[in-house]
This record gives sequence, C-alpha cells and structure tokens, in this order.
Amino acid sequence: MPDLNIDFTVNGRKVARKVDPSRRLLDLLRDDLTLTGTKEGCGAGECGTCSVFVDGKLVKSCLMPAAKAQGADIETVEGLAAPGELTPVQRAFHKTGASQCGFCIPGMVMAATSALRENPNAGIEEIKERMGGNICRCTGYTKIFEAVEIARDVIAGKLPQTALNQDGAASSFIGHNTRRLDAPSKVSGRLKYAGDMDMQGMLHMQVLRSPHAHARIVKIDTSRAEALPGVHCVITSEDVPGTDGFGVFVHDQPIMARGKVRHVGEAVAAVAADTVRIAREATRLIEVEYEELPGLYDPEDALKEGAPVIHDYAADNVVKHIPVRKGDIEKGFAEADIILTDDFSTQQVEHAYLEPEAGIAYVDHDDVVTVISPSQNITHHRHMLSHIIDKPINKVRFIMSPVGGGFGGKEDMIYQGMLALAAMKTHRPIKLVFTREESFIASAKRHPSRTHYKMGLTRDGRITAIEFSMLSDGGAYGMSSEGVMRKAAILSCGPYEIHNLKVDTRVVYTNNTPSGAFRTFGGMQAQFATESMMDMAAEKLGLDPFEIRRRNMMKAGSLTHTQQKLNSASIGTVLEAAEKACRWESGAPTVRGETRGDLGGPDTRQPCTLGARFAEAATQIEKAKVAS
Amino acid sequence: MKRKLKGRGVAASWYGIARTATIDRAGAWAELDDGGTAKVVTGVTEIGEGILTLLSQVAAEELGVRPEQVTIGDNDTARSPEAAHAGATRQTYMIGNSVALACREARSRLFDEMSKVWDVPVDDLRSFDGFLWAENTNKRITMEEAVDTCKKRGVVPVGSGSFTAHGTGLDPVDGTGSPWQAYVFGTQVAEVEVDTITGEVQVLGIWAAHDVGRAINPRGVEGQIEGGVVQGLGQALMEDYQTQDGHAVTHGFAKYILPTSLDVPQINSIVVEDPDPLSPLGAKGIGEPALVPTAPAVMNAIYDAIGVRIRDLPATPEKVLAALQEKRREAQTAA
Ligand code: FES
Ligand code: FES
Repeated sequence: MPDLNIDFTVNGRKVARKVDPSRRLLDLLRDDLTLTGTKEGCGAGECGTCSVFVDGKLVKSCLMPAAKAQGADIETVEGLAAPGELTPVQRAFHKTGASQCGFCIPGMVMAATSALRENPNAGIEEIKERMGGNICRCTGYTKIFEAVEIARDVIAGKLPQTALNQDGAASSFIGHNTRRLDAPSKVSGRLKYAGDMDMQGMLHMQVLRSPHAHARIVKIDTSRAEALPGVHCVITSEDVPGTDGFGVFVHDQPIMARGKVRHVGEAVAAVAADTVRIAREATRLIEVEYEELPGLYDPEDALKEGAPVIHDYAADNVVKHIPVRKGDIEKGFAEADIILTDDFSTQQVEHAYLEPEAGIAYVDHDDVVTVISPSQNITHHRHMLSHIIDKPINKVRFIMSPVGGGFGGKEDMIYQGMLALAAMKTHRPIKLVFTREESFIASAKRHPSRTHYKMGLTRDGRITAIEFSMLSDGGAYGMSSEGVMRKAAILSCGPYEIHNLKVDTRVVYTNNTPSGAFRTFGGMQAQFATESMMDMAAEKLGLDPFEIRRRNMMKAGSLTHTQQKLNSASIGTVLEAAEKACRWESGAPTVRGETRGDLGGPDTRQPCTLGARFAEAATQIEKAKVAS
Repeated sequence: MKRKLKGRGVAASWYGIARTATIDRAGAWAELDDGGTAKVVTGVTEIGEGILTLLSQVAAEELGVRPEQVTIGDNDTARSPEAAHAGATRQTYMIGNSVALACREARSRLFDEMSKVWDVPVDDLRSFDGFLWAENTNKRITMEEAVDTCKKRGVVPVGSGSFTAHGTGLDPVDGTGSPWQAYVFGTQVAEVEVDTITGEVQVLGIWAAHDVGRAINPRGVEGQIEGGVVQGLGQALMEDYQTQDGHAVTHGFAKYILPTSLDVPQINSIVVEDPDPLSPLGAKGIGEPALVPTAPAVMNAIYDAIGVRIRDLPATPEKVLAALQEKRREAQTAA
C-alpha cells in the first residue's frame, strides 16, 4: 500500500507526515516525532504504557493505525505541562513516590489524568477501575492511588497546592521522605530508556530464534539474508572471536546457539539492517537445518537413567546440589511427638518488567566496544564479554541505562553479546529492542520447585528435626541456578533455630525456558513450604500460629541452619509488630475464619466490585439450575 | 456454608543482605564541588528501587549539603568505580555504605582546611543543609564559601570509599558457613475472602512488618514493601508461566495474568529498625525480603477461611474449587 499523507495536531502543534499505512500511532509518535515518553510495554493493548489522548479520549496507541490520526488532536505525556512544569497529577506522583522504575508511569499519568478529567470527584474504587488497564510491576499500585487522590483533591480545591510539596525540612536527611530525584523525568516521560535512545547511523537488529526445544544444528545458510538490500551483517556463533560462553556461575551459554539449541526461543542468528523491518525480513531468509533431539521437560525425568543429556559437561543433568547438615536428624525425629510430611510446589514465574530488553552497542573512537543496556550486572558482563570478543577489559565498556524493572531478570547477558559482535562487524551503532513475546520466551524465569518436607515436633511445639529436599527446574542454561539453590538451602527452614536438619536443594537442566535470578533468589520457594508446614503443625498441636513461631524463632546467639552464630535476630520484634498491627485474635489455625472477630477492619479494603458482577452472574447460573 | 468466607493467615521469613556466601564489595568516589554542590560517582543506576535518591540523602547527610545538590554519576564500567550488580538486596547496604565512606573522606579534607583557617579543633566542625560551622563559636559560612576557601588553599575536597561485607562460602559437604554479615526478618498477615462458588480469592488486607536496619527513606521502604507484596500476591494467586514440550503457552499479558489495580489489598507496612552494627549507616535492606512471606500468608489465610490447604502455587480459582470439591467428597465419605 502506498504511503498516506496525514495532518494532525500533537500537543497543540500542527504536524504533517507521510505514513506507511501499516504503522501504528505509537510508531509515529516514537520514531517520527521522537515523543518517546509514550512507551511500548507489550504492543498488544494489554499494559497501558502507550496510552495517549486522541480527541480527548484515552487510547492505547499500539492498537491505533497511524493513518487514523488524520485530523485528530493528539496529546501525549510530553504535552500535559509546559517544559519544566508539572501538572498536579505529575506533582502528586512525585510527592508520594508513585514512580519506581518509571516505565509504566507516563501511561499511568495519562490514565490518572483521564480518570480525573472524566470524573473530577471519582472515589478510590472508581479510580482503581479506571486505571485497571494499566499494569505496574514495581509499585504495588498503592502510592499511585495515593497520588491520584491527592491530585483530585488539589484540583478540586479541597486540599491546598502545598499538599503537593515535599514533606517539611528535617534535622537529618536520614529517615526523611526526600522525594525521588528521578521522578520529574519519569512522570513527564523525559527519561530515556535504552529503547528510547537513538544514534546517528544506527542500524537495527533482529534475532532468529529456535523453534525447537532440543535440536542439533546441522547447517546455517545466511547467504540469502546477507544478499537482501539494507542488510549490513548476519552473525552466528561462527563469528565469535574469543571464548564463547556466559552465565552467572557456569559459562554454559553461547551468545548464539553453537552446535545445538536447548530451548525454544534461543538465539540462533542475528541480523543488523537499516530498518527493523528489513532486519526482520532477513531473519526469515536465514536457512537453518535442524535435527531434532529428544527433549527433557520435567526435572524428575532429567535425573532418570538414560535421560537425554543437555550439556556434555553435565552428563547427569545436575547443575548444582547444595547440601546443608546440622545435628542428627534421626535423633531429632526420635524425640518428636508428632511428625508431619508433605509436598509443595511452586510455578515458573515471569519477571514481567514493563520495559522489554533493549540495548545499543557501538565501537568508539578508541576502539572501545561499548554496550548500553539496562543490565543489572555490568561489572560481570564486562568481564564475560571481554573473553567472548577477545579484547582487554579496558576495551570493553558497559553503560547501564535506566532499568525499566529488573527483579533479577536483567542479570543475564542474553543479548548484549550479539549487539557487540554486530557493532564490531559493521562499525555502526546497533540497536535491539525485544518484543514482549521475545522477552517472555528468551529471558530467565523464577525457578519452579518441588519440595518434600518432613518436620518433627514435640507436643509443646518445639521443632526437633527437619528434612527438606527441593528439586528445581533450571531450564536450558545454568544462569543463576547455582546461587538460587544456595540461597534456598541456607534460608530453607525459615527464621527458626533447628538443631537437627538435613537440607538438599538440587537444580537440573531441562529443555524448558531457563530459570534464573528473581527477587528472593530461591528464598520464597523454600520458605513457602516452611511457613505452610508451621501452620499445619500449629493446627495439629492446637497452638496459635504466632506462638508456634515464637517458640522456635532464632534469637541472639542462635546458630543458623549453616551454623553461623547470630549476634542479633529481630524476628521476635517483627512478629510482635505484625501481631499488634493487625489486631490478631489469637487461637489455633483450625479454620476459624467464620468465627473470627478481627476481620474487616478499617485497615482492609472492601472486596472489589468485580466480585459483585461475578455475584450477579453466579446467581443467574443458580437460577438457571433451579429452573431446569 | 456461606458463599463468601473470610480468613487470616500469617507467615514469617528471614533473608540475608548482599551477595551470598562470598565476600562482597562496592566502591565510590565523592567530591564537594563548587557552589556547595556535590558529585558522587559509583557504579550504580536506578533499577526503580530509589537508590539514587537514597545515595543523595546519604551524601547530603555526610557532606552537609542538600539531597538535590548531589549529582550521582552514571553506572559506566569505564568511568566509575565498581559497585557491582544491582540485586541481592545489596544496593543500600553495599553502595550506600561505600558512598558514606567516600563522603566522609571528602568532608575530612574540607574540615582539615577549615580547622586551620578558623584555628578551631577539627572535631568542633559541623556541616548540614548547606552550612558549615564551628560549635560554640559564631563562625558559620555556607558550603559554597567553604569549598571556595578550601580550593583557594590548593585542596580539592575529594574522597573515595570501599565497603566490604564479609560472607564466607559454604562447606561443600555439610553446608556450614557464614553466608552474610547482616540478616533481616519479616512477618506478614493476610486477610482474604474466598468465593466458594467461583473459587476466586481476594486479598483484602496485608500487614507487613519488616526489619530494615534503618529506614533512610521511609516512603521508599514502603514502596518496596508494597511492590514486593503485590508480586507475592501475583505468585500466590494468578501468575503461571507454562510451557508445553518446551513451548511457552503464556507468552503475553493476555495469558500471563498479572495483578492489576483491582487486585491490590490495603497494605499496612510496619517498619522495624534493628540497626546493623557492622556498617556506617546501620541500614540493611528490603528489596527482596518484602516478597518472601506473602504467598504463604495468603495460603494460610485461605485455609483459615475454607479449610483447604493449597500446596501447589498458584491458588487459581480452578484449583481452589477442585480442592473444595475434594474436601466435600471426603466429608461425605467420612459421614
Ligand atoms: S498496551 Fe500498548 S504497548 Fe502495551
Ligand atoms: S514503576 Fe510501574 S512498572 Fe516500574
């Protein structure tokens, strides 16, 4: 289809552009008008980071064809206030600390502005509902709601303008609610994340990914892709000049598949071209011949005799086993009055940071290979890349761009190596931005786990012994698996002094999406099992859940599970603080919800209205049942 | 049985601060700059937790300027000292302390000069909020003047700091070792409502008590707790990355369900301060620990409400309903 000429208004200025009809309003704003405050978190209408006003209505610009902008009046986050100024909504976000990584924030500010324009008196429930189409992965929404309520009241004149100011002067800046210094740039959309950056002469990268979970690569033919006009280079593992391999503990992952692929979505080859579109087209012209291999999809299967081997160096598929021993568990279980055994499992979890992976690499005037990306560990990435591209450390430079959410998911060097290699081959800056789907399938997840638990206790609730065994699925590559198992093992049995314990955590390779670092690094999976067991034991013994925890908790002088002597342990204080704050009604956890007197206090929210809609539907179903 | 049943559950937790079972380190440079401003360079960039603001508070406090007068250099392996990775709940502890040490050195350069200029003992000098003064005298000038005076005497007030956390490795056979020098503890209580017809669980309230050592920015601490709780809630009730023979079937937000504004409980944060004795700031951390107890507290609350123990996360409506049916069947066979 030929390009269309369109005229429209953006932030009060008239704009005329020729647009390719297949492009989206989001592309027009970001690429042609450099209004990068509007973000692309998903490209599918599901996250709200791309929200703009079109003729006064809140619209997800990733869903609107650019051509539809003809004649429209568009307002983006950059246009809400004059440069250097902030609207009351933006100031309120600044005041309450409503922006963390900031990637969702321009969209949130737009949604909040829309909510208050549509109903200046909106109550909190309505505000929540109106903002329900915008995802934030960092803040837990609470400070965002607070900000919107303050802004509403200031706009309505119910609160003075000064309510938007920073909390008063202090005698110390430690313990002071200093407003976030980066908030003004986040609430106004001015902060540039890697995907918002641009460099002169920049090329665009696209990656060809494996369609197979486990396959031998027989042959890669890049000639047709290379011949495509606009393509500057095609790279594969053949192009790696040094020792290929990265990972947080074992360097078992090549920057692109070498010899075989081990999970769906693994990078096989990459193209740098004049435009994203040409690069994408070129990836389709790369011919890869695969020979499929039997795959491993369950961690138990990985341990079986004769299981397929994922990495030659680990014939048993075990990435790591961490044992922790203390005391004598046989003696401990013999002393127990009751013994509980159970099994628990946790799922694989996606970090879902709103900023998909992105980066730019270039070779500078001093021949320094430079990578700009939201990497959570540039120090280590620099080391690894220097081996991979065979350059001294001072010729490798990593710059950490503002991270639009990480949670551990941006600790792995899954794309920076490809960018560096292409920059070295072309001597042009190269940019890569993952799609949301790529981010899902190519980045690490939280380890799914299975835990077998055995706990012995005396009648008065003292734990005498614990046997804890956890098996985790590490997926195709090692990444942070070893460290995650170590932390899971160290923290396993919780904040309790256990005299006899046997703990084992194991992680194996499979052909699933790799697991890696994720906020709590194994601590959550392990303690979920422990804390469930504590309540089950409390019920059996007729003890209040706080009480059973107090009877076992660590104290100053306690020996931890790894036999470290603690100089202090605040668990007693913390238990008491929580118990008091929630007005806990004591009693054993014997399904006493219906008779509790401590429910529904002012420090809880009302069940959400969605429940009401469900209720209606459910009554109708009931009625239908009765009728039939 | 009533259709909607409420219940409460508790879970406790503990966590280690900074890298695990190894020595951890971070470095920083500081300079008291013209105009009474300050520069801090350290290998760190915001990942959203508020570290830049926190470091500017620490620098302001140590140097005697205001947070907004502090410029923090970007994280760049070729331009800034190593502060290593942004993870492991180590930013406040490792980098905060290294910045404090660097600032102390820069300040002492300035104070040495001013004590000579004013002929007062260096220990009598104080600086805060843009001013420098000598206790029990009427000598008081702005930091701008102080830096100018120092530089005219030929001294640039710069400093560097390196902070170490002494963790030790684990024995490969029995796991003994001292993985961290600082630990934090937490406890959360969840209040839920379970719809016994749809299986839907709503979390209505969370009380989250966490020891953070020392809260340098209390609002920032709350923000970390709120964010951690909601991620924990997502893992407890809805998030589930699934693959079929290695192929992801939940590769977008339409299928991978995340908590939205409608799922968020009222979160009541209780910040407990048990200062760390081994570091200049006494602060420990909160990034990761905030998430640990949420899911078990929610599962314990579901049990309290309906007598069903969910052992396999997440507790989706389908799973809750299946468990309820199982429970009813068991009750019938028993009867
Ligand atoms: S909704 Fe448009 S990018 Fe997510
Ligand atoms: S601040 Fe909302 S996604 Fe990070």
